[in-house]
Amino acid sequence: MKGRGTGLLLALPGLLLLAGVVGLPLLYALYLSLTDYTFLKPSAAFQGLGRYLDALQDPYFRHALALTGVYVGLTVGLTLALGLLLAVLLHQRLPFRGLHYLAVSLPMLIAPVGVGLIWKMILHPELGILAYLFGGRDFLGDARYALLTLALVDVWQQTSFAALVLLAGLRSLPKEPLEAAYVDGATPWQAFWRVTFPLLLPVLGVLLILQVVAEVRTYDLVYVLTRGGPGTATDLVSFYIYRKAFLGLDLSGASAMGYFLLLATLALTALYYRGLTRA
Amino acid sequence: MKRLLAVLVLATGLSLAQGVVLRALMEDVPETRIIEELLPRFERETGIRVEFEKVQYAAMHDKLVAQLLAPQSAYDFLQVDFLWAGEFPAAGWLEPLEPYVKRSGFDLSPYYPSMLDLVGYYRGTLYMIPMYNYAMGLIYRKDLLSRKDLAEKYRARFKRPLALPKTLEEYVDLSLFMAKNAGVAGAAMQGQRGDPNFMEFSNYLFAAGGDYVDRNWRVTLASPQGEKALALYVRNIQQGAQKGALNANLDDTFRVMCQGRAFSMITYWWMLPQLDDPKQCPKVAGKVALSPVPGGAGVNGGWGWAIPKNSAQKEAAWRFISWVESKPIVRERALRGHAPTRKDAFQDPEVLKKYPYYKEAERIIAGAKKVPIFAYTAEMEDVVGREISLAAAGQKPVKQALQDAARGLEGLLKKAGLLR
Repeated sequence: MKGRGTGLLLALPGLLLLAGVVGLPLLYALYLSLTDYTFLKPSAAFQGLGRYLDALQDPYFRHALALTGVYVGLTVGLTLALGLLLAVLLHQRLPFRGLHYLAVSLPMLIAPVGVGLIWKMILHPELGILAYLFGGRDFLGDARYALLTLALVDVWQQTSFAALVLLAGLRSLPKEPLEAAYVDGATPWQAFWRVTFPLLLPVLGVLLILQVVAEVRTYDLVYVLTRGGPGTATDLVSFYIYRKAFLGLDLSGASAMGYFLLLATLALTALYYRGLTRA
Repeated sequence: MKRLLAVLVLATGLSLAQGVVLRALMEDVPETRIIEELLPRFERETGIRVEFEKVQYAAMHDKLVAQLLAPQSAYDFLQVDFLWAGEFPAAGWLEPLEPYVKRSGFDLSPYYPSMLDLVGYYRGTLYMIPMYNYAMGLIYRKDLLSRKDLAEKYRARFKRPLALPKTLEEYVDLSLFMAKNAGVAGAAMQGQRGDPNFMEFSNYLFAAGGDYVDRNWRVTLASPQGEKALALYVRNIQQGAQKGALNANLDDTFRVMCQGRAFSMITYWWMLPQLDDPKQCPKVAGKVALSPVPGGAGVNGGWGWAIPKNSAQKEAAWRFISWVESKPIVRERALRGHAPTRKDAFQDPEVLKKYPYYKEAERIIAGAKKVPIFAYTAEMEDVVGREISLAAAGQKPVKQALQDAARGLEGLLKKAGLLR
């Protein structure tokens, strides 16, 4: 009992800090979402769930939510697949291993805004190298390609993080099951899918959650590359909420929308935890 | 004894002013640097130091709002874009300036009425002093307009001589013609949704004789004129503009024009000296000219000086504003390339000698119209910009986009209490 008390005491400063930095803003946003607070009319009369209903009735918010769903599926799926491929490759005995590590980790080290600016030039329909190679295709200005292009830029950056996490996972796997599989005559392909992959699943699961949470919040790339356009082709929900707050000056409405997003992310995380504990 | 007292008072005043530092958030553009060059003079004269925090335009609004909401602003005076000239006063964030003007005898008569209307008064109260004008006009390539082969082809096609267009239809026709025959884009267009495409489209709207609202704030956007304007805009961006126009902003269009890859652009008139600079744009310098938007009125734009209500140093801030807007300093700024808002600077012989195109600029400013300025102007740009972009991308028919934009605008005007 005494040990537990000391533990709590030691954790207290950290918990207090967390409560202050994360908890308070969350509570404040919850409070705001139940009022009609705007920057122009900071009166804050109680509205109940009115702002939540407003959000649900806003077709452009619903569109942004659906678009974000597609975007998250696309980016997370591709990131995990490519990350796994890279991790397996890096796990082999390659010459100049340090160089490969460096190359793979570089995108992760660049700030997303920097990534956006670099790719903006690469994709520039008149000056960019990619547009040149693809016959002057307008990747970001054409509503048909804009979302996919945005997702691929994002995947380019996120894959390095995924690859490094999965590589760490691969490194920490016990060797015995794999050796046993080879002794039993498994091909490398069989050994990977029947032994390595199942053992790696918990790491993949954690990565999945981290990536989903990161992608739901995608904002910087949209801001730099497309501003949500053309039309509403890349109007992801974080960017939409930002505009609601800072262009529409509607902090209560934006808070309600933010809570929808938070609930969706929490639900996904909870689902994963349940899966994990059951397994 | 009297003299001693006067000296004492003066000395105390000076020493009080000593150590006063005024801070302001300014857009990171050449004009800000021009004012910055003159700041030591202000410090010598008053003992007040002025410090600018310079950021890109896109970062300004959020930073300002955060400061204006705080108990005390970190900025002692402000540079207010006309797009916020409704929002800031409506929110009660700005200090009314009439008492300051009266007390100091500041003369408002040299300012163009269109400028005072844009970045001076809000619903009858003076909150800002016009600082800078960026009305929009047409910049075009004189050399292409006088090319013989093009002139012949044009005459054969349109049965009229190749000349500066007089109407919006003529302009779009010419743009498409140039795109097809001159080996350049007909127009460098800034179709990125939000501020870029909203501002650009507004010129088409005004030139076609349309408007967003009438005098009583009733929405008139979805009129036949509005439809004509949007149809022409969509046609030009799809067939006449440079590649990537749907995602282009001001910088992109400038690059296209600067590299000689477009015939024209509807843009801020101060772009002309930038494009006419042989060091910056050797391919087009000497070949570009300015005119009002074909069809008449273009969009008026500008910045104003203001003092936030939560500034701790309002008197010193006013001292700076009245100094920087005084006749000699405005003239000095104009001679260094800072677009003025006062008639005396536009008509100054030395200024005109250095910048002959100020004559055209004055015409543009005098005829310019403003987009609706109210509490939700920034959101209006977002809502209307989205619909223009949807139409331009071919994702929504022109009529439908226009109706949706009008409905969105109406909602905002109701929210602002301007419409029932």
